[in-house]
Amino acid sequence: MSWILIAMILALLIPIYEACKDENIWQKMLAFASIASKTAMISLFVSVLRDDWMLGAVAVIILSVGNAGLMLLAHVIKRVSQA
Amino acid sequence: MINLVNLVNLANLATVTLSGDFYADIYIYLITALLPLSACLLVVQTNPYHALVIRAVLGAIAALVYAVLGAADVALTEALMGTMLAITLYAVAVHSSMVLRLGVLQTAALIEQEQPPETPVLVKEPRLAALITTLRDLIRKQHLRLELVPYPNRAALQQGLTTQEIHAACAPADVESDAIDCVDPANHSHHNGATSLCQYQIATRLQSLHDILQAELAAVGVDTVVYAVSNLEEQR
Repeated sequence: MSWILIAMILALLIPIYEACKDENIWQKMLAFASIASKTAMISLFVSVLRDDWMLGAVAVIILSVGNAGLMLLAHVIKRVSQA
Repeated sequence: MINLVNLVNLANLATVTLSGDFYADIYIYLITALLPLSACLLVVQTNPYHALVIRAVLGAIAALVYAVLGAADVALTEALMGTMLAITLYAVAVHSSMVLRLGVLQTAALIEQEQPPETPVLVKEPRLAALITTLRDLIRKQHLRLELVPYPNRAALQQGLTTQEIHAACAPADVESDAIDCVDPANHSHHNGATSLCQYQIATRLQSLHDILQAELAAVGVDTVVYAVSNLEEQR
């Protein structure tokens, strides 16, 4: 099962590279959204692998709350770019 | 001698176990290696808003590392407090601090501002509008944004500069300036012969802002920046 996780980590490297390369703030936000979802999915996979439901609950909370933080950040950045 | 052989066998056994664990747990090492990688990315950012987004990425990866290493409660705290709350508070702080408040005279010919006061100030006079557009483009390089603060007369403008309500004041230079009291007469005569943007003078109370504006405005052919030390700073 370890190779599936390694493939997921390699997929996680793609938006990290995008976040450091692209100068547009919205491209960075898209990369952050991708990273937040991918890290939560890796946590979920590890929780299923270890049969650890406490980890699974935390991963689900991170998956849902990460999007709320993203929306707050995007709202602030949108107001800044309008000003 | 027998003890030494046993010791060597034990060491070999430990090496085998270690290498077996290493390949089974290699994903843990890879995930942990992501943390210094994103931290280095965060350190090299220059734009504060880009740094905020990369900080959020760092928080997401840190939560993943904590979860994989078995600290589910720490991961939850990192995701809720460390990422969401800290990023929101930092965004508000950066939004309110990375601003240049420029005081301008609110006369009918220059600008007009509609009610309520939250609406943006409309600049009607074309030379002032050109100067403000130039200024806005220049300080965008420093990741600052420009906020115009209208004042009814020159005395109020000077008062605002003294009481540190604004960082800089912009006023016409061809009128006898009683508000901005450190206009050099030699520079004054020089400005009248220069381009049309030089009809306005900008006074600032911040040394670093003066250096930035002097260098940038001189590069585009406008040098109107006057460094005015406010009375409050002189008292210190």
